[in-house]
Amino acid sequence: MKKVLPVILTIALCSSMLAACGGTKTASSGGAAASAAPEAKSVSLNVVTSYGGDDGNRQNYEAAVKAYEDATGNTVLDASETSNEEWKAKVMTDFETGSEPDVLFYFNGVDSNKLIENNKVVSIEEIRAEYPDFASNMKDDMLGASPVDGKNYSVPVNGYWEGLYVNKSVLEKCGVDVPDASTTWEEFMTMCKTIADKGYTPIACSIQEVPHYWFEFTVLNNGSTATHTTVPMSADDAAGKIWAAGLNDFKAMYEANCFPQNTLTAGDADTFQLMADDKAAFAIDGSWKMGWFAENTEDITNYTVTYVPGKGDRKSTDIVGGLSMGYYVTRKAWDDPAKREAAVKFVEAMTTDEVVNTFGATAITALKNGTTAPADADALVNDALAMTKGATGIAAAAQDGLNSNARAALFADIKNVVTGKTTAEQAITDCLAVK
Amino acid sequence: MENSTIYKKKGPLIVFLVPAFAFMALFLYYPFAMNIYNSFCKISGLGTAAEGVNEPWYTNYVRLFQDEKMITAIGNTMLLMLLTIIFQVGIALLLALLVDNIHRGAGFFRTVYFFPIVISATALGLLFNLIFMYNGGMLNNLLLDWGLISDNIDWKDENHFLTTMFSPVMWQYVGFYFVIIVTGLNNISPDLYEAAAIDGANGLKRVRFITLPLLHNTLCTCLVLAITGALKVFDLPWIMMGQGMPMDRSWLTGTYMYHQTFNAGDVDYGSTIAVVIVVLGVTISQIANRIFKEKEY
Repeated sequence: MKKVLPVILTIALCSSMLAACGGTKTASSGGAAASAAPEAKSVSLNVVTSYGGDDGNRQNYEAAVKAYEDATGNTVLDASETSNEEWKAKVMTDFETGSEPDVLFYFNGVDSNKLIENNKVVSIEEIRAEYPDFASNMKDDMLGASPVDGKNYSVPVNGYWEGLYVNKSVLEKCGVDVPDASTTWEEFMTMCKTIADKGYTPIACSIQEVPHYWFEFTVLNNGSTATHTTVPMSADDAAGKIWAAGLNDFKAMYEANCFPQNTLTAGDADTFQLMADDKAAFAIDGSWKMGWFAENTEDITNYTVTYVPGKGDRKSTDIVGGLSMGYYVTRKAWDDPAKREAAVKFVEAMTTDEVVNTFGATAITALKNGTTAPADADALVNDALAMTKGATGIAAAAQDGLNSNARAALFADIKNVVTGKTTAEQAITDCLAVK
Repeated sequence: MENSTIYKKKGPLIVFLVPAFAFMALFLYYPFAMNIYNSFCKISGLGTAAEGVNEPWYTNYVRLFQDEKMITAIGNTMLLMLLTIIFQVGIALLLALLVDNIHRGAGFFRTVYFFPIVISATALGLLFNLIFMYNGGMLNNLLLDWGLISDNIDWKDENHFLTTMFSPVMWQYVGFYFVIIVTGLNNISPDLYEAAAIDGANGLKRVRFITLPLLHNTLCTCLVLAITGALKVFDLPWIMMGQGMPMDRSWLTGTYMYHQTFNAGDVDYGSTIAVVIVVLGVTISQIANRIFKEKEY
């Protein structure tokens, strides 16, 4: 009896540990068995997108997911978040550690290179071999081919544009006209000075968190749509000089008190709130921010969106935009017989003409049939449509040419450039050194 | 003890110890050994294979001394350690002594002071973000209403960030040490106080000559916990002062390690910082143990 007790306890301890280790396997094999059974067709799909947080299309996304779930009986386990550098890093980490989702809505530029190089996502060509109608409502040459091998891997929903959101009420109080296609950079800077002198914040921007958009346009202002996507090889080459001139314009704006007092410590949500509170006049953001204005402002007619004033060779009507993101079917889902079809059908359901139209009729689209503006479009949507229709040139974002680590380094250094702690040239050199 | 087979024969004892040791070896010591090895390698993404050993192998360790942000992080962490000892343990001791001297409501205060520990640090971070917010934050609004300031204060700027970052951390953990010290106080026999009272010792003298000496071991435990705890502080500062704001001045060793590993994708350098954190933790807690040696009574 004396020996029996320790032995029983030992067995109990070991078996409890082994049971814990084997738990997942048992559960997953049970799930696979259930999926394979003919009577249980319901599949759980893990989906990650950037339609989380305060994304303007969050409600449209959730509605489309619900429609897919109702139609198929499948379950979508959604882990969407707001797109930022941290989110991008997290997505890549998930792939590297083998915990990637079944379907991913992610960038199709340099950011996705590792996914293609490591065969983590399935090409549209491969999917079409089994599902010939996959993404057949889209123009193939606009899907956003991978920089790695020129093949299409993702199906875009709506493209994006970046524009200057304007609080008309603040401008009126300051006696300043709304900028338009003919406004020059010098005139814009004079407007900012007038607004600052009246005690308002000219530009709602968090240099600490999201200097991205002003970087794009200050760089575009010193180059053109033709040169915009050229990534410098060094701070001294032609592209490097354009970037440096752009960063120095950024610095001049900071020194002219164009940004909020706490721009070096505030978050993006804090600074954008200034637009809703009628405390700031301008903000650059993307087409995805349209929904934010509809949800967070009392009177949408108080806001408009227009061209960012141009400088030098760049016309104000040249905009930054493109189709930078799309739905990927991951290799993990494709190789899982239970999930393959569910994942493909999910992407198809999220990219029908009808769904794409709800996601933003103002945006650049890959749909063969194009998008149509909703009948009840608000003033801001109509202004955005007018802006994109009047665009004379379009360039993809310059920052998309950098890998995520280099981009994180560059944007973390912008605060040092504007405050004079480092030079624009040094910041570019440091960012290019990040591999 | 004669009937205790378990102590006579070591076999079963080993059987019990081995699984736990294997578990620790697999999930703590092996990763830590790999972490040391990784700090000599070049790894550009989590989960990706090392691209080889750095050239020279100690590159990351040289970089530590040249990296201004790392120097800032170590400085801030040391400061946090000092403040933790002074304020967290100090205030906890004061509160515990006060609560120990009241007869009614002691349970209520114990709950009140301990409560911040129960709330998640992320929620607290968001709460304090609202308090310290520049536009419309509670603190600025109060000061404006009382006429103490005419313009909003940026509580996260270079003049205020230390107070803004450290005060919630101090506040959160006072309750933790408070509970430990209260337990220590409960272990002191009331007879000693009664004897002291008969001898004419007043309140302060009783604290000085009875309570504090008898609390020595409890306070030692608190100090070691405070020192090692300060090295691990991450969540509250990360939520409140993300990305080392302002101007890379608020990095702590924990937040900087996370940033390098997960945001900057510099896994090998992140591993190097992790090694430094462990070395600092072990060294300083050993020194603390030697200085505040536990006494046998």
